[in-house]
Amino acid sequence: MKVKNYRTFWILLAIVIVSVPGLSYMIFNIMDNSFPKAKNGKSILGSPFAFPDAWQSVSWNSTLLFILPAILIITLTTNEFTYKTHRQNIIDGWSRKQFIGVKLVEVFLLSLLSTFVVLLTVLGFGYIANKVPAGISVWQGSRFLFFYFVQALSYFTIAFLLSMLIKRSGLAIGAFLIYMLLENVVVGIFHNIYHINAMEYMPEEVTDRLIPFPYIKALLDVGRWEHLIPGYLAGAAVYLFIYCLVMARSFLRNDL
Amino acid sequence: MSNILSIQSVTKFYGKIRALNQVSFEVPAGSVFGVLGPNGSGKTTLLGIVMDVLKASGGRYSWFGEPPSEKQRQKIGTLLETPNFYHYLSGERNLRIAAAIKGRGTEDIPRVLEMVKLTERKDSKFSSYSLGMKQRLAIASCMLGDPQVLVFDEPTNGLDPVGIAETRETIRQLAREGKTILLASHLLDEVEKVCTHVAILQRGQLLMAGDVNEVLMNEDFVELGTGEGLQAKLQGLLAGLPGVRQVKPYDQHVQVFFEKGVMDTGELNRYCFENGITLTYLQLRKRSLESKFMELTEEKNKSGAAVAR
Repeated sequence: MKVKNYRTFWILLAIVIVSVPGLSYMIFNIMDNSFPKAKNGKSILGSPFAFPDAWQSVSWNSTLLFILPAILIITLTTNEFTYKTHRQNIIDGWSRKQFIGVKLVEVFLLSLLSTFVVLLTVLGFGYIANKVPAGISVWQGSRFLFFYFVQALSYFTIAFLLSMLIKRSGLAIGAFLIYMLLENVVVGIFHNIYHINAMEYMPEEVTDRLIPFPYIKALLDVGRWEHLIPGYLAGAAVYLFIYCLVMARSFLRNDL
Repeated sequence: MSNILSIQSVTKFYGKIRALNQVSFEVPAGSVFGVLGPNGSGKTTLLGIVMDVLKASGGRYSWFGEPPSEKQRQKIGTLLETPNFYHYLSGERNLRIAAAIKGRGTEDIPRVLEMVKLTERKDSKFSSYSLGMKQRLAIASCMLGDPQVLVFDEPTNGLDPVGIAETRETIRQLAREGKTILLASHLLDEVEKVCTHVAILQRGQLLMAGDVNEVLMNEDFVELGTGEGLQAKLQGLLAGLPGVRQVKPYDQHVQVFFEKGVMDTGELNRYCFENGITLTYLQLRKRSLESKFMELTEEKNKSGAAVAR
């Protein structure tokens, strides 16, 4: 009910939905047109937008867009603080748990929704843009969709956590961006230069690793990656748990 | 169950600042209970604590004799500090959300809107409301579902005199219906007009709490005037009268405070006349809550200063 009539919400949501296929389509075009093709007419990079690679490609592309739904989450959450309606909801008769619970559901639903949009985009590319190659099941590689969901949920929960702690929309968005950049930099330094593998388990990085860069396959040590997937998933789960714990402690105990 | 709200030794610190210090009182059912105090005395903090918006640093409270829970708050209509609504939604939609959280009252929305005279603007966005309208919407939200208990924190804030009078009348009406009302205000004369009980706070300290008549008990006094030049004589005469607690000059007149139950204006008049003083002015004054409040807080300031020294 709170968002039904909120125009900003619908606009942002529309942007989120359109951006996923939009970006992938842009990248598809760029790749199609910019890279040289081999004799059989296919790009030397293979066909990343055909099955089964479509799952990984589109998912990876879409992770670049996380800032958009994050802004949506941050806006919805910080609004409550700005208007002090978080206080009013409690006064009117919600428990603090109920208030947070509803917001977490929003985060979850948004993750599901964006995953669903990715799904449609993948299917769109797979079927429409490229014919399905023989002998390959459409669903092969669809685990990337699940990885996308995990990654989305993590990112959006981080955004939500920042909103709850920072309470001001501009600052929260800024903090989100800075943190993302910063973590990448730190990981870059320590992992690539100093080769500290533990850096892979930083909160953002651990989910990023689930979907490796799809366009240059040679970069990835596939065997090692496969091996580490359960570790990454476990790491993501632990972090999600920690985020929820921090938020619960903060919101349930403090003054509003 | 006779007490709607029971507060025991509630203390609240904001960092080093002690906003409330061991405050305790009971709010009887059906009373109009005023929480009075100057700005900064802790009234809103106290109300915030019993509505679970703030967490007390110490002490306990209970509603309806039970430990606090959100179910209780659904039965209480509350206006705390400022009207808090979604700016991008209309007045009516905001009320729908409040009714949904309370679990009742949706059918009440037209009635409460009419009560605060906002029916015409119910579909306008909250952000377009004037301050008075916002306050009225908040009052309307309190009344959703016809709760038995109401909590008002400065309900007349931002209202024009007509609005203030209407709010006063609304509160009186609710009291007549037997509802319990907890009212925080620094407008003492307003409170005096409607409250049955009061608690007086200053800087987080509870100065006094109880039936308003008891708090004001023994506070009536007589103001006397006499011919020019005779004032000092009158004062001296009165000081010697048994049962007199205090004699004070005030402007051109003399104020006489009596012990409880002693005062009799006829007797007083006769006494003065028999002793050679003709009174030109005699009036029985009811002590107002405001002057009582001023006296209490001044005493506190003095004793506070004494302690500090």
